[in-house]
Amino acid sequence: MGKPNDLVQGTLDLLILKTISLEPMHGWAIAKRIEQTSDDVLRVQQGSLYPALHRLEQQAWITAAWGETETGRKAKVYSLTPDGRAQLEKELASWDRLSHAINLVARMA
Amino acid sequence: MRSADKLRLRLRTLFLRPRVEAELAAELSFHLDQMTDENIAAGMSAREARQAALRSFGGLTQIQERCREMRGTRIVDELTQDLRYAVRTLRMSPAFTIIAALSLALGIGANTAIFSLIHALLLRPLPGVHAPEQLVALGDPARTGSLSQGNVRTDLFSYPLYEQMRDHSQSFSGLAASGRSNRLVVGTEGANPPGGTETARGRIVSGNYFSVLGVPAFRGRTFTAAEDRVPGADPVVVISHSYWTRRFAQDSGVVGRPITLNGSPFTVIGIAPPEFTGDVVGFPTDIWIPLMMQLQVTTGRPYLDRWDTSWLLLLGRLKPGVSLPRAKAEMDTLVARAVTTFAGSKISREIMPDPQAMRVQATPGAAGFSSLRRQFAQPLLILMIIVGLVLVVACANVANLLLERAMGRQKEIAVRLSVGAGRPRLIRQLLTESLLLSGLGGVLGIVFALWAGPALLRLAGGSSSVALDLRPDLPVLAFTAALALFTGIAFGLAPARRATRVELASTLKENARSVVGSGKGAGRWPVAKLLVVGQFALSLLLLTCAGLFVRTLQNLERLELGVDRDHILMLRVDPVAAGYTGDRLMAFPAHFLERMQAIPGASAVTYSENGIFSGTESASDVILEGVNSGKTRENGVNLAYDRVGPDYFRSLRVPILLGRDIGPLDRVGAPRVAVVNEALAKRYFPGVSPLGRHLTALGPPDVVYEIVGVTHDVRDHELRGAVPPRFYTALAQSSEFASAFNVEIRTPEPGALVKTAREAVQAYDPSLAVNDIHPLNTLIDDSISHERLIAQLSAVFGLIALVLASIGLYGVVSYTISRRVNEIGIRMALGAQRNDVLSMVLRETMLLALAGVAVGLLLAIAATGLVNSLLFGLSGHDPVTLAAATAILVVVALLAGAIPGARATRVNPTQALRYG
Repeated sequence: MGKPNDLVQGTLDLLILKTISLEPMHGWAIAKRIEQTSDDVLRVQQGSLYPALHRLEQQAWITAAWGETETGRKAKVYSLTPDGRAQLEKELASWDRLSHAINLVARMA
Repeated sequence: MRSADKLRLRLRTLFLRPRVEAELAAELSFHLDQMTDENIAAGMSAREARQAALRSFGGLTQIQERCREMRGTRIVDELTQDLRYAVRTLRMSPAFTIIAALSLALGIGANTAIFSLIHALLLRPLPGVHAPEQLVALGDPARTGSLSQGNVRTDLFSYPLYEQMRDHSQSFSGLAASGRSNRLVVGTEGANPPGGTETARGRIVSGNYFSVLGVPAFRGRTFTAAEDRVPGADPVVVISHSYWTRRFAQDSGVVGRPITLNGSPFTVIGIAPPEFTGDVVGFPTDIWIPLMMQLQVTTGRPYLDRWDTSWLLLLGRLKPGVSLPRAKAEMDTLVARAVTTFAGSKISREIMPDPQAMRVQATPGAAGFSSLRRQFAQPLLILMIIVGLVLVVACANVANLLLERAMGRQKEIAVRLSVGAGRPRLIRQLLTESLLLSGLGGVLGIVFALWAGPALLRLAGGSSSVALDLRPDLPVLAFTAALALFTGIAFGLAPARRATRVELASTLKENARSVVGSGKGAGRWPVAKLLVVGQFALSLLLLTCAGLFVRTLQNLERLELGVDRDHILMLRVDPVAAGYTGDRLMAFPAHFLERMQAIPGASAVTYSENGIFSGTESASDVILEGVNSGKTRENGVNLAYDRVGPDYFRSLRVPILLGRDIGPLDRVGAPRVAVVNEALAKRYFPGVSPLGRHLTALGPPDVVYEIVGVTHDVRDHELRGAVPPRFYTALAQSSEFASAFNVEIRTPEPGALVKTAREAVQAYDPSLAVNDIHPLNTLIDDSISHERLIAQLSAVFGLIALVLASIGLYGVVSYTISRRVNEIGIRMALGAQRNDVLSMVLRETMLLALAGVAVGLLLAIAATGLVNSLLFGLSGHDPVTLAAATAILVVVALLAGAIPGARATRVNPTQALRYG
């Protein structure tokens, strides 16, 4: 099982921002979506997810509203703000740079 | 937008806490439910599913806590908690709180008071002035009341020189001038001064003064350039808001009203705004008079067209982008050019300076001018260091009290640690307590400073009424707040760290104390002992300083002046200002002297131009026959001199060593005579009698005197240093009247004669104002007011430090003994006598005290070099002072040890062993 610690600090932010950039969703759905999309490689634990969500909200990159789920339950739904979109672009760019750099080193002939 | 959003969120988190918490709980429980549902879908039973979800979820509380942390309000929450807790604990031990807060208040208050004085005198920009940082002061900022005649100068400026600088300067958008005015006798109803003697402080200023400073009129108008054109043409004045209040009770009809100044008619055209008190710090101006009206308030003494009469200080406003050095360089060039241009025509050959050697002193002008700064800057800085050290001693005391308290709270702290409080959190909480204490001390300190500031000012000012605004303003409050914060951390951090380092197991056990004291508690002693040693060391340093300054003051006060200082009354009149001219003026000294000699109680009366300790002095280049007479006039020696009345030395009880006094027969027509002092005789006529030699004061015109007497040295103006060579001539033989006129009256009780003498002057001529009337000792005391200030204050602060240090030592010794009751009990059970116990306690006390004294002596020997320039008649390493300070500390240490020591001897061995 992938531990949250395995995620590079800040990468979780990237994953969350990217996930809700597609559509607003609540915490449970975000965790599920990340798991599914990564073919169960990345598992986000609640102990990391919620503090991260609150931090991102505090940064005004995401905003929360109470909505209803398909099952009719109330849930806190997060969506991306314009600032958050800009931040996502930044994080994507820096991720690309980082992974490219790591690849260069890892595949050194 | 974004920051507004953030702020909204923060505020929501802070103030809608229950809602935010509920939302968080709902959000997490939703997640938990979803997980449970998923587990059920995977085939678990409802109960299993729930448990599995809970397990994988981890600590719910921890997650909540971390979410709160992310919201960034945890610190605020905890701070509020800590603060509440701190208030509660401090209220639980009021004695500790009061002692700690008071000693901090004393330390912080003393620092605030001295700093507010430094701030008001040395640092604060002139109040009421627009953009004071753009101002440049030209000239020597200390010479606010000076007048220099006889040469062209640049530490003060003559009016013609100022005119040249003002009109040709490129660096300044405006250049204003201000100069001294004599005491003004103000009459408010036509030409008839009611009350007669009401005086005000005037300042003679250029027409652009208010516009350059950017000071608008509060009522009416201020001066304009129009008032700068024709001498005597614009008899108008602006008065200060405070004078308006004091003299006119804020009568709104004052603008346009006629008043008289020294008898000349003027009209009030405006009132300055309340905050503006002029350009001279410490002496607020009451009345501003245009430069062109100088002759009208200083009757008989025209300065405006004289290059050799320097009396103005200048304030320039820099044009944007011009630096101070550039402005100074321009002024140097301007002055040289002006002097060269007018050489020969307006500036005579005798007074012509070397144009290239003229340098203008330019300094930042934001803080205005002050004659007090030079005198008080160094004493105030030294006092600042002294009160800083007192605060350190006070901090050490509070730290010791806190350490002691921490020992009493070990169990509480152990409990809190064991139930999971983090050590950093506990340290923070203890620090909150000490910061609360220091904050309390700071607030009390400001109250203390509010009271102490004016008291200090009176002490420093002597008989001259120095007025400084000492109400704490923003910089002073910031200083105090910073000080409180700093002290809170300084005395709180070490005890807090120490207190939280407890061994849980042993502390929590009910009877953790071992038989011989507490092994665990012993760890605290090095800190507490070091603090006491430090306190004693600093106390010794402070007491030594105090001793040095007090002995300096005593040396100055007991110094032999050469005159009968206890029995002389000095008074100054100005017949020129009262309208005396020509023969009437020349006859004035003799006539006036006769009237003064008739005062009942006056045993002898004489007069002199410069007086004694009056602050005015004359000097002249002199050729002494047989000494430098063969040389050219450039080789004349510059000597101080005074022009005096008949029987001057006899009247002051100064012994004549050779020859005779200046006598009543030394008048116009008789050969001109001079008396020289011993210092002059010794220096220029070693081994020979100067009597009969000639002394030529270089003019124009040169005047030749015959030396007829040698007198004992007199300290005329300065207590410190060697008596300079000086000579005395007869004013009655001069063709020119004196620039000042001082009368010396010898009488058994000078203070008692003030009123009679004043009345006698009034009776002689009501228009003659008494400008100054003081017993000579008052004038001398004023001349050493900064020595008195520093001596008295350092003594007070030395004593405070001593008291604090002895409380510290007493506390530490008492505490050690209370921890060692059973040890002492065992010793006594084994046969130790009371004396043995007492001497054991005293030995340990003295060990601490002597260690402190030893360190203190080293400190004192190293540091007192800094104050050498302020000492008189002894060196910084004065053995008597060092020995006395050491002795005082040893005695105090013995007392501080003896009281708890005596208590220790009353320990009952049985009880100590049973219940210890």
